[in-house]
Amino acid sequence: MNDLANPAGVAGKLRKERSLLPTGERLARLRRWRNIKDQLARYGIGIFGLGVIFCLGLIFVYLFSEVVPLFRSAAVTQGAVYAAPGPIDGVRTAQVASDRHNSLGVRLTDAGHALFFSPETGEVLEQKILPLPADVAVTARARAEARSRTVAIGLDNGHVLIAAYGFDEVFRGGARQVSGSLEYPVAVDGDPLLDVAGDGTAVRNLAVQRGARGIALAAELADGRLVLVRFEETRSFLTGETTVERKQYELERPPSNAAITRMLLDGTNRSLLVGDADGQVHYYDIARPADGQVRDSRRVMQDPNAAVTSMEYLLGSVSLIVGGSDGSVSQWFLVRDADNIGRLTHIRDFESHAAPVRAIAPEYARKGFATADADGTIKLHYATSERTLATYGGIGTAPRALSFGPRANALYAVGEDERLHRLIVRNPHPEVSFSAFWQKVWYEGRSEPDYVWQSSSATDEFEPKFSLVPLTVGTIKAAFYAMLFAVPLAIMAAIYSAYFMSARLRGYVKPTIEIMEALPTVILGFLAGLWLAPFIENNLPAVASILLLMPLLMVAFGFIWTRLVSAEWRARIPVGWEAALLIPVVILVGWLSVSLSPLLEVALFGGDARQWLTDVGITYDQRNALVVGIAMGFAVIPTIYSISEDAIFNVPKHLTQGSLALGATPWQTMTRVVLLTASPGIFSAVMIGMGRAVGETMIVLMATGNSPIVNFNIFEGMRTLSANIAVEMPEAAVGGTHFRILFLAALVLFVITFVMNTVAEIVRQRLRQKYSAL
Amino acid sequence: MTETKSPLTHAVDPSLLSSSRAEKLRLEQEAAALEVKNLNAYYGKDHALKNINMMIPAKRVTAFIGPSGCGKSTLLRCFNRMNDLIDAFHAEGEITLDGKNIYDKRVDVAELRRQVGMVFQKPNPFPKSIYENVAYGLRLQGVRNRRYLDEVVEKSLRRAALWDEVKDRLHENAHGLSGGQQQRLVIARAVAIEPEVLLLDEPASALDPLATLKIEELIFELKEHYTIVIVTHNMQQAARVSDYTALMYMGELVEYSDTDTLFTTPAKKQTEDYITGRYG
Repeated sequence: MNDLANPAGVAGKLRKERSLLPTGERLARLRRWRNIKDQLARYGIGIFGLGVIFCLGLIFVYLFSEVVPLFRSAAVTQGAVYAAPGPIDGVRTAQVASDRHNSLGVRLTDAGHALFFSPETGEVLEQKILPLPADVAVTARARAEARSRTVAIGLDNGHVLIAAYGFDEVFRGGARQVSGSLEYPVAVDGDPLLDVAGDGTAVRNLAVQRGARGIALAAELADGRLVLVRFEETRSFLTGETTVERKQYELERPPSNAAITRMLLDGTNRSLLVGDADGQVHYYDIARPADGQVRDSRRVMQDPNAAVTSMEYLLGSVSLIVGGSDGSVSQWFLVRDADNIGRLTHIRDFESHAAPVRAIAPEYARKGFATADADGTIKLHYATSERTLATYGGIGTAPRALSFGPRANALYAVGEDERLHRLIVRNPHPEVSFSAFWQKVWYEGRSEPDYVWQSSSATDEFEPKFSLVPLTVGTIKAAFYAMLFAVPLAIMAAIYSAYFMSARLRGYVKPTIEIMEALPTVILGFLAGLWLAPFIENNLPAVASILLLMPLLMVAFGFIWTRLVSAEWRARIPVGWEAALLIPVVILVGWLSVSLSPLLEVALFGGDARQWLTDVGITYDQRNALVVGIAMGFAVIPTIYSISEDAIFNVPKHLTQGSLALGATPWQTMTRVVLLTASPGIFSAVMIGMGRAVGETMIVLMATGNSPIVNFNIFEGMRTLSANIAVEMPEAAVGGTHFRILFLAALVLFVITFVMNTVAEIVRQRLRQKYSAL
Repeated sequence: MTETKSPLTHAVDPSLLSSSRAEKLRLEQEAAALEVKNLNAYYGKDHALKNINMMIPAKRVTAFIGPSGCGKSTLLRCFNRMNDLIDAFHAEGEITLDGKNIYDKRVDVAELRRQVGMVFQKPNPFPKSIYENVAYGLRLQGVRNRRYLDEVVEKSLRRAALWDEVKDRLHENAHGLSGGQQQRLVIARAVAIEPEVLLLDEPASALDPLATLKIEELIFELKEHYTIVIVTHNMQQAARVSDYTALMYMGELVEYSDTDTLFTTPAKKQTEDYITGRYG
């Protein structure tokens, strides 16, 4: 092109020196294209980088969004207030309740009405009459566990009526229709009225319980007698006919002379609790009712003048909630002492009321309850998490009846003014508190406070135990033993192969170890759980002797090789290949240990090493930390090895040569210069391995036994945060407390690794600053 | 200094040659620090050093010059057996230090390297404090006494002409020093363990002219105490600092004599070609 534009002579000259670089438009085009590529790369990399950070952020946000509802506070708001359904003049409400959809309520009155009403409006939909005789007055009222829907009414003629209300659901034309029902679970000769006193003495106090073993009734009569009545159902195995046998016993009065204020029977018919005006609760052991007696009496009020004004069992009738005239609310249950006698034990206190506690309503399906005081203030509590969740300003007067809807989303309270308050309760996650997660909690039926993770069980009365401590400890334990196994092996291997091994042997060894990383952890876990765990259990002496003999014999072999073998023989092994000589040693030690194991077992451990361990007081689980340490150690060795090997190998040659040139032996050079310079790399290798061990799931899931225990015994298992999530997530109800707590566990795991990585990075930067080799 | 005019166009200005010498040096009159006898060295099949015979005079500066790949560094590294670190290397022949063959199987290589110190082309202080760098060699020998260490560190740093520059920051990381200071630190580190021979492998090639000058001055002072062997690409440097110079080419020792003679009246055509810049 230039040729045409220039005079021929000049062109000839130009041709000679013509540049090989592109010119003119072509160059401009190339530059433009190069610019575009450069920009594309710049923005592309930027976008993808930000995208990664954004996705990580989203994971965080999602975890948070699942966890945050756990910490929303509970609320009690007013739903509706209306005059109690049915007659109210001179008619006292004995009990209110509703069905699980809050679509039908029932109000029982002292006048013998069972009024089924609409909780929305208070309109009476159905009315039934209890068969109370005329001219008698109701002197005592009692309620069995809320979910049994059973009440008892004591009369001034010494009779007691036990009634059970029900809500029958039918679906007609696609719509749910609920109708009320009333039945009398015990009737003697068709008469539901039971003569308890026998002589017409009025019933003063009453307790009823309906458990798996039938119905029980306890009554204090006006003349001071304490009567226990049991109805035991027996089923004839010939005819299939059910007969109800009534047995009546008389119990001695409590040791204190104070007036009895409340009585409670538990669901197993084993204990009777009696609260009195003196602030004491007396525990009767009535497992054998004929010789039932007071086993324990305990002052449950701190104020010496306070009386027990209300008392109620929580779900499962194990925990006792006591409300006092001083407004105190506390939880108690029977804890067996050294003599195997149940003692009423103070478990925890809840936020007090300003006025005497008049009513306690337990939830149907959880360990929560509501308390109402004489001023009408209502508080919402939860036992396990030791929290008072909400306070409702009040219903104005002292409560006559207080009960939860079955799903704990509504609260019904009737005051002395016979106005019914329907309250809306929003309390989805009362189990959550700092203490429930991280502190020792005294769970029902336990002899002392403890860290327990037990999220579910077969029974409805079960108290979920959500301590994250066993899981966190388990995670740390698993990681600790894995690191104990992996770090020395991996780093020593790295030192050897990077610094002492011949280049050719290293060329085989390094990729081989690195390929171990590709081994699916599920296979490692499977091998560990199904092969290694039983193997170790059966060959405990072998494991111990391998751990002991392997290093010893390796050193001994090294000694023999360098000191006793002649130089000619030594010269046959090329420098850097000496490690290969250890292979037969390792195999021999392993074989010897395993084959001598039974003999050792007989000689030293009485024939059974496992039994021997148990005898000396060490618990041994087949799937234990030792197995996990080896299996997970195996999984993290490639990571640690590979990174630290690179770090050591990349220590500049001029440093090692500098050290050697100063008269250092290779070992001195290794310890004083190489390790020092490689320390940032080795440190991050260890931390990355640690991060992997903390988050590893499949191996711990399959090889730990998943028992959430809090100890560092190498022969016991553990349950880690990650394995716990894997095990329980499929069975947790979406959106439930358990489900969200699993997310919280994930978040805790995230935080642990995050904190660990951050600390590691800071330390690494410092090391690097200090020991960077230019 | 002989004022004989050389007919050659010198690459090296004769005035550079050490004019301070009172008398002409004669190799035959020197006491030997190292003696090389029939040394052959191989990298695998590559014959790197071919039948080298020479004597390194004690307490003098001997320079090895020659084009790249001529074997001068290899020869230098034979003196403290640093070549042993190279897998395929092996040497035949003898090098005697104090009358003992350093290639004898019974020789403790670490002890040999203490006696024959070495300074590399690139300054290589350890990632430790200045003090610890100098004390390193002593600690290797098991010296723990703090007072003794302090003394040796100061003496060595003074000997390396570095003391005044670093005495206030002995415990700071050595990497904070400039390249020239680092190289002098490395020399201090080497002299701290009282070697007999100091090998310098192109010690100034990574430094700026001023730092180079300081190193050269230092070499001049050090030869009072040590036998110094220096490898250099820089013929002016060889002429400036050395008493004796050996020219190597293709693994062979071409010419070896006192520096003045070698640069002014070389005995061989090859030498003349090299120092006049016709190849190399």
